[in-house]
Amino acid sequence: MRPCGIFDRNYGQDMAIIRTWQHWASLLGALVILYLFPLFGSYYLVSFINLAAISVIAVLGLQIVSGYCGQISFGQAAFMAVGAYTSSVLTTHFGVSFWLALPLSGVVAGAVGAIGGAPSLRIKGMYLAMATIAIHFVLIWLVLHLEITGSFKGLYPPSPTLGGFEFDTDEKMFYIIVSVMLIMTYCARNLVRTRVGRAFVAIRDNDLAGEVMGINLYYYKLLAFFISCFYAGIAGSLWAHLITVVNAEQFTLLHALEFVGMLIIGGMGSIPGVFFGVLFIKILNELVLFTSPVLAGAFPWLGSSPAAAMGLIAFGLAVSIFLIFEPRGLAHRWEIFKASYRLYPFAN
Amino acid sequence: MLEFLQQAITGLMIGSLYSLVAAGIVLVYKSTHVVSLAHGQLVAFGALFFWFFFGSFGWPLWASLIPAFILTAAIGLLIERLALRPLIGQPLFAAFLMTFAVFITLEGIFVLYLKGETRALPAFLPEGNIALGGLSVPVNQMVSFLVAVLLFIALSLVFKFTKVGLGMRATAEDHRLAQGTGITVRKIFSYVWVLSGLVATVAGIAIAGVMDIYYMLPYIGINGLIVAICGGLDSLSGAFVVGLLLGVVENVGAGYLDPLVGGGVKDVVSYIVLLMVLLVRPYGLFGLTRIERI
Repeated sequence: MRPCGIFDRNYGQDMAIIRTWQHWASLLGALVILYLFPLFGSYYLVSFINLAAISVIAVLGLQIVSGYCGQISFGQAAFMAVGAYTSSVLTTHFGVSFWLALPLSGVVAGAVGAIGGAPSLRIKGMYLAMATIAIHFVLIWLVLHLEITGSFKGLYPPSPTLGGFEFDTDEKMFYIIVSVMLIMTYCARNLVRTRVGRAFVAIRDNDLAGEVMGINLYYYKLLAFFISCFYAGIAGSLWAHLITVVNAEQFTLLHALEFVGMLIIGGMGSIPGVFFGVLFIKILNELVLFTSPVLAGAFPWLGSSPAAAMGLIAFGLAVSIFLIFEPRGLAHRWEIFKASYRLYPFAN
Repeated sequence: MLEFLQQAITGLMIGSLYSLVAAGIVLVYKSTHVVSLAHGQLVAFGALFFWFFFGSFGWPLWASLIPAFILTAAIGLLIERLALRPLIGQPLFAAFLMTFAVFITLEGIFVLYLKGETRALPAFLPEGNIALGGLSVPVNQMVSFLVAVLLFIALSLVFKFTKVGLGMRATAEDHRLAQGTGITVRKIFSYVWVLSGLVATVAGIAIAGVMDIYYMLPYIGINGLIVAICGGLDSLSGAFVVGLLLGVVENVGAGYLDPLVGGGVKDVVSYIVLLMVLLVRPYGLFGLTRIERI
């Protein structure tokens, strides 16, 4: 929906994501503020953005395979674990530099994901979701029982270094994580507008019709899983080098469910929706963290530390409410808002 | 050979618990075509409510069974009313995602209540072992096995011979046709969830008889789902047979493979079985071949 009086005169204008000088100005301004943020922002906010950005990368991958290609996956946490462990093993056992381990862990996770996505060639919907849950448990089991992943003890990957400069604090890692997130967002936003992205959408909307139109279902489904798990692997690698401790406790089924919940709340089939969903859940979690000690003080029967359990309740209720009242997620609300803003004073 | 038989029998006993959990999932799927992730929570709450009256208040066995059944059935009814009824008319996959949201909400309440502790029921099933040749079977596991058998027979009879069961089968076939013949589909949905709550309580109590109530208990719902899917989601007999089989495979596999790979085979065997079944026969071993193939 264009504002009144704005006309596209050629194909380039029609397809542009950033259309006006106001868009460019606000984009550049936001980038400047984002990159200067660690200089004036508090440590708390910086680490919050770090973790949120890592979730954004993982959920972007999930958006591509679930939101665009329609193959629901509950395995994103396990694929993130594959990335995290690949990166840790490469840097600690083989002395590979972080800058090489980062893309490599994405590729390894993507390859594992493409194998794990193989059931999608025969089953879909709920059956595929159960298959990905099974893959999750098999992968985590492997992580716990292989020699090279340090089994129950986990691994301690080093902080990344660049020419003698060590990225050893959250403020320094901020620059790596946010830059990678911006690149991944740029790629995802453009991927879904290409031939590949249109093929994904066709598979989601009607796979039989898509196949009749000449889309190779096998190739594109596996490609969707590869790309999605590539994103998960990158997120896992960043996570490993941010926290510098990796163990299987960090990648449970609940984490995978949380990613799916972020996707539902943000809205399936929308790249901005990923940001809405991740921020919604992360802020909800922080609110619960702040309010739970107060509640625990007021109601002693809640126990001394009800934060984890109350976070689950709040998350589950939020997802149910969105499923009932706004199944298309916050992204849809945002589109409605934009449309009515642009058409003002006319009614939408 | 004796060792193998012993492990197989222990597996059968564990497998009967899986079948009990799967029974509720099959029940819901058969009538509403909703696959319930939340069933494990119903099982856990059934066990918890029973512990509440039997273990905590010290009520007699028969008296604590009644409120446990009523409360768990009430949770089932609430799930149907508050979470799933607003989604009628939406794609079935939305209902599946809703049961996942319900799972997480109930998980939160369960964890909030348990606070990381375990609750052990006082022994209410007869103790001791029955010796069969060289094999020994614990009596309490034997009892839960028999309960599973009886429950499956009862459920099959309900489906086959009662009017409500007929309504459920009709609803599963086609909502509009069922409505046209005078069956209130919404009422049937409520009945189904209440019934699944009751079945979950049976499963929960049987499970609590052989293991403690702790924070991982709801995840037995995932084992139940595996059994239900492998058996074919709409087949009660499939759920029963596959549950027993899975128990045996898990136990025997763990017994023979654990020394080779260093332990923990039990945790992963069922998932590998599920993946293989999904790849070879996605509609399950006993299910109707109605699933859409790609």
